[in-house]
Amino acid sequence: MKQFILRRVVQLVLVVFAVTFLTFASLNLVGDPLFNIVGVLSGIPDEQCEAVARGEIPDTQSSGLNMGDCALIAQAKEQNNLDRNVVERYGIWLSDMLSGDFGTSFVNGNEISDIVRERLPVTVRLIVLAQIVALGIAIPWGVASAYRANRGFDKVSTVGSFGLLSIPNFALGVILLYFFALRWQIFPSRYENAGWWSELQALTLPAFTLGLGLAATYQRLLRTDLITTLQDDFIHMARAKGMTDRHIMYRHALRPSMFSVITVFGVNTGALIGGALVVEQIFSIPGVGTELVEAVLRNDPPVVIALISVVAIGFVLINFFVDLMYGYLDPRVRAS
Amino acid sequence: MAGAHVAQAQLSVRDLTVRFPTGRGTVQAVNGVTFDLARGASLGIVGESGSGKSVTAKTLMNLLPRTAEVSGDVIFEGEDVRQLAEQGREHFWGVKMTMVFQDPMTSLNPVKKCGEQIAETLRYHLKRAKKTALAEAEDLLAQVGIPEPGKRVDQYPHELSGGLRQRVVIAMALACEPSLLIADEPTTAVDVTVQKHLLDLLDTLRRDRGMSMILITHDLGVARGRCDEIAVMYAGRLVERAAPQTLFGDSRHPYTDALLRSIPRIDQPSHTRLEPIPGRPPELINPPEQCAYAPRCRFAQADCLESIPQISGVAGMHEFACFHPANTDRGREALAANLALGRTAAGLEITGSGGSS
Repeated sequence: MKQFILRRVVQLVLVVFAVTFLTFASLNLVGDPLFNIVGVLSGIPDEQCEAVARGEIPDTQSSGLNMGDCALIAQAKEQNNLDRNVVERYGIWLSDMLSGDFGTSFVNGNEISDIVRERLPVTVRLIVLAQIVALGIAIPWGVASAYRANRGFDKVSTVGSFGLLSIPNFALGVILLYFFALRWQIFPSRYENAGWWSELQALTLPAFTLGLGLAATYQRLLRTDLITTLQDDFIHMARAKGMTDRHIMYRHALRPSMFSVITVFGVNTGALIGGALVVEQIFSIPGVGTELVEAVLRNDPPVVIALISVVAIGFVLINFFVDLMYGYLDPRVRAS
Repeated sequence: MAGAHVAQAQLSVRDLTVRFPTGRGTVQAVNGVTFDLARGASLGIVGESGSGKSVTAKTLMNLLPRTAEVSGDVIFEGEDVRQLAEQGREHFWGVKMTMVFQDPMTSLNPVKKCGEQIAETLRYHLKRAKKTALAEAEDLLAQVGIPEPGKRVDQYPHELSGGLRQRVVIAMALACEPSLLIADEPTTAVDVTVQKHLLDLLDTLRRDRGMSMILITHDLGVARGRCDEIAVMYAGRLVERAAPQTLFGDSRHPYTDALLRSIPRIDQPSHTRLEPIPGRPPELINPPEQCAYAPRCRFAQADCLESIPQISGVAGMHEFACFHPANTDRGREALAANLALGRTAAGLEITGSGGSS
């Protein structure tokens, strides 16, 4: 078991390197990083700024656009180590990030680490809640429909789950918002955080918006796996041991049937982060998704890079735990 | 049939019939099976696949799929087993009546430790505390002859060999001290070298605990030394029932006779040619009103094709269901007539004499 975890940790580190490098590179190799920072000013020819530096012409005339443009360019290059190559810059950026320094926004000069600290927990809570909703619905639902597969309840629930699967979450979000927040006023329509209870209430509708579709996915997978598991001899054995069907379903059949669900649980967390982006907008939740959209719109690469890296690392970590879960679910995985 | 005998019986099965409706028609899996089992006795049920022996066991254990149509009576220690099933009675199966399955590689839950699986039964039925149950599980593992039981309780099934796993399954079946153990081909899936050990173990445990046992097998040899009585099944019907000595020395039903001729015997000269049984097991969907074995039978006469022979004889001694039984004058006449014609009444072509070449 120790070796199993160690191997996975080594893999984890490699994947984190790859993911962060690709994210960093995508915004540093695609297009001119200087353009990303200072916009059209990056078009000022180097010779002109060199001339300004030699005092041949005043900085005000360097571009004809603004005062101190060359100074701004010099500052941008300096701050972002643009005179070094991309690998060196990545190294500096990564070591800064690992020590908690995510840099500052180009646009408003805010500390990115503050943004992350403020925004990430909200999104994490939303995603965790959505997964709880999804699993909480999917497990009993899957068990109930696999127990009497292709009978009345199962047939109805198949229709129901395909219905849920085919509703896009922005549509579902609007529907839930309309009925539960505006019409019946059971839940608040806007995010508020005055203590954990009010936040939980505020996150309930968004969590269901994200979780219902997922629940339907998990239910389909769990149902199929359970039906297969229920054919196994050890289920007959458990029945011969005189256990009730309920005991057999939850204590014997469920655990070996969770593989597909757990796999999709991990993979779906990525999709969930994407979904959270939309849902955060609908319910005006100040999470990573909202900030990410804003950062892209205001052309703020350092913020985008930092947020994507954090999300990517989170995604990798979750899948690392999913791998550990396989070992927990089936002891035979640990051995191989 | 036999009044005094029934009163003593621990298990008494009367006219048990099991049918499965399918898309192609109704499968008549078990047809009018009747037998008694005395307390502490062991009964071997022998037959080829599809003979209904496993379905009979599953009926007793309440393991049939919901679609099965069952009729007849199953009385165990004065209780109507089929009624218990309908009432959803708990703590009966797994406590009084337990079962060991064929394949130990698949009949243990792969994600639970062996000790846990045995302890589960004790905790579930007898409400033992977790620690007590685990200690008892270890004790049971020792009783079924597993070396280092303390280590095995913490192992998963995949860490054990097939023989050891079957011992774990047996330990699990014995946990609540059942009064009847049904063993469904308990040694078919394990190595030949382990088979004898397991069968001897079951036999010893049965005797020590005064438990009754139903041993289901397709191998007459397995049932021979270990059962007080052997019942042979064919096409869902009991065709012959007798003590092993009688069955092996003086069989009556041509099917039993053919089975005995198809297995090698130590007392025959070497290179004796074994005789396969011609044809295939019968269709169980809408079987014709005739002796199910007639199409494969060397003794078959016209009357075999007209009605179904009912099992009769002295209950508890020797019963069989045949119009022209082997090792009798009637049977010898029938065989001689068929040999003279070169074919039986069912159209099976036969030649030469049965037996040694």
